[in-house]
Formats: sequence, C-alpha cells, structure tokens
Amino acid sequence: MDIKEIQSLIKFVAKSGATEVKLETDEIKITIRTGSATGGHETTYVQQVPMAQAPITPAAAPVASAPETPAQKEAEADSKLITIKSPIIGTFYRKPSPDKPAFVEVGSTIAKGDVLCVIEAMKLFNDIESEVSGKIVKILVDDSSPVEFDQPLFMVDPS
Amino acid sequence: MQIIKLNATDSTNLYLKDLMNKRSLDDFTIVVADSQTLGRGQMGTKWESDPHKNLTVSILKKMESEQFDNPFLLNICVSMAVFNTLKTLHIPSLKIKWPNDIMSGHFKICGILIENIISGPRILYSIIGIGLNVNQEKFLDLPNVSSLKLLTGRNYELDGLLLKLQRELKNSFKVIEEKGADAIRDQYESVLFRKDKPSTFKDANGQVFMGFIRGVSDQGKLVVAHEDEFLREYNMKEISLLY
Repeated sequence: MDIKEIQSLIKFVAKSGATEVKLETDEIKITIRTGSATGGHETTYVQQVPMAQAPITPAAAPVASAPETPAQKEAEADSKLITIKSPIIGTFYRKPSPDKPAFVEVGSTIAKGDVLCVIEAMKLFNDIESEVSGKIVKILVDDSSPVEFDQPLFMVDPS
Repeated sequence: MQIIKLNATDSTNLYLKDLMNKRSLDDFTIVVADSQTLGRGQMGTKWESDPHKNLTVSILKKMESEQFDNPFLLNICVSMAVFNTLKTLHIPSLKIKWPNDIMSGHFKICGILIENIISGPRILYSIIGIGLNVNQEKFLDLPNVSSLKLLTGRNYELDGLLLKLQRELKNSFKVIEEKGADAIRDQYESVLFRKDKPSTFKDANGQVFMGFIRGVSDQGKLVVAHEDEFLREYNMKEISLLY
C-alpha cells in the first residue's frame, strides 16, 4: 500500500463519519481514528508490521506521511557512506610504525590520495590510499589484525 | 636517469616517498644514502648499517595499469635482481630465503623492503628498498649476518654496484613483460634457500616439525611438503625456518 492509497483511505474514513477503522494486511497494519473520540483532532496510526509502532502526528490536516524510524534513518545514512575495502590479504596496520600516531581516526577529514592504513603481506608494505575525500565514520578492523581480500576496512562519508 | 645522493637521511624509502608526493620522478629513480638513521626492516624492526660501507638505496618503480595484480611478484622480481647482481660478482653459495632475504651460505647479506602505494585495486608505484651489506666487517649481536667483504675479502666500489643493481632490476621487470610471470617465478623457485632439503620449521603454535620446501604459491605463500608428503601453504607469520 503506498502513501497515496493511505491518504485517500484517511479521507474516506473522515468523510464516512466512522470513529475508528482498522485495516490489517500481510505487510501493513493501519488504525485510523477520527476526531470525536480524541477531543476534536484526527489521529492516524500507520504501522509497518515488522517494526515498532510509529504514530503519525496528530495533525489537524488529515494528511498522513510515514515517519522514518531510527533504523530507516541509519540505513539511509549508511547508503550514502562509501566502504573502503582491502585490496589484498595481509595484516592491517593503522600506524606507519608502532611509535607513530595512526594515519586516521574516526572523524578525521581525508582527501583523495591520503594514506589510510598499511597492509603488510609477505614483507610487502602496502600503503592504502583513499580514492575519495570525506570523513572517516567507522574503522571496522583493529590495528595489527589479519584482513581478507575485499574485507571492509573503513566507512567514509563523502559529503 | 635520476640518482639522488644523500649524506644522511632517516630512511631512503621515506625520502623517496615524500619526494614522489612533491614532484614527478622518472621510473627507476634512485635515492642512495651514505648513512641511514632510521632504516627499517619488518614492521617495527630496524635495519642497521655502518655509514659509507654499505648500499642503502631505494628505487622507484612506477606501475602501468594492472601490471602487478599479484604484489608478491615484486618480491620475486627484486630478489632475483639482487641475486643476479651478486652472481656476476661470484659471491659463493647464493640463495634466496623466502620471501626475500639474500643469503650466502647461512649468512644474510641483503634485506629488501618494498612499499607499494595502492589506490583502489591497483598499485600506483612501488618504493623498493634494498640494504646490501658490502664493505662492513663487524656485525654486533647478529650471528647470521655477513657482507660481501667478509665473504670474499675484497672491497667493493658502491657506485658501480648500484648501477649494476639498477640494471638487473630493469632486466627483472623486462623478463616479466616479455616472458611472463611464470618465467621469473621458476628462476626464483630454483634458487630458494633449502629447497627440497630436509628442514626444520616452527609453526605459529611453537610446534617444531620436519619438512621440505617445494616452492611458492601464486599468492607467495611458502609450499612445504610434510613427512607424509602432504603439501601445506604457509604465510609469513605461520612458519619460520630453523637453520
């Protein structure tokens, strides 16, 4: 059921004079309550079955829009992030040498071409440069731990 | 051809890497230092060398696109270049100890440290660091280390040696271009230290066992035949050869 169908359903219920209508399908559960029972305002609830109940604001206007749950927001934010993966098998190092500070931390601003980490394999030391500019959001691997080919290493927010 | 000579630097690899970020350099540009204050070996270890006596050099190799999809090939390429350089000098009992130590008998005479600059899936360039013990006569607390001078009794001229080395390195890359990676890998395997000889190894758990080095895998892992003839492949940290 899309948002337009929900909107027309709300209008239909409001016009009908019914105080409450419940609709349940495999994927959605909707409860629409009209004004009289809750003190003159129309209240609408839309619920996506697998998620927590998300009330739609008790607005004067009878137009409902599905709010984003925290999970949805995170998923959307993650989809904007770029994952930097390991090009080789080896040992992941966050520092150029043990007595030096890490190349990047969470929150570091990076430019294209900046070195993010070193991956050592068979005495080859591989400086991994960033292909993007942005901000380090997550570091997914601990210092000095083994990494596989294509294993995600960093999440970068390019915006 | 660009050769940059320094009296002293922290590390020729670092110097070359910094320079590469500042201006464009020719392929096979050389940085050589009389003395290196922060020479490096494996992560966190040092490479120490008396000033003016040895070759401490870094050579730049720019990569064509996708030329080195297998980074281990670089270890093979550089080891073979050093090996061939020393062979022309008739250094006795030369072998390559996996992955890239150059040995004369039981003595290590050369260390190699290669740094690749990788962006996305490809190597942009490599900084090839080579530390060759030439005229140094004393190595404190390093029983398995030697120099060309100690092995042959001769003094060697460093500049000439460096040019030979650069020539051999170019040649190694040419072998790969013209004959393919397998050709140079065959050469490398044929001169592996303790190949096909009964050897003692220690694995990551400290377990000591007997086996025979048979070669290297495509990824550069050491292939060892156990006494039951079963072949196993080992990473750097999973095995050490006792000799």
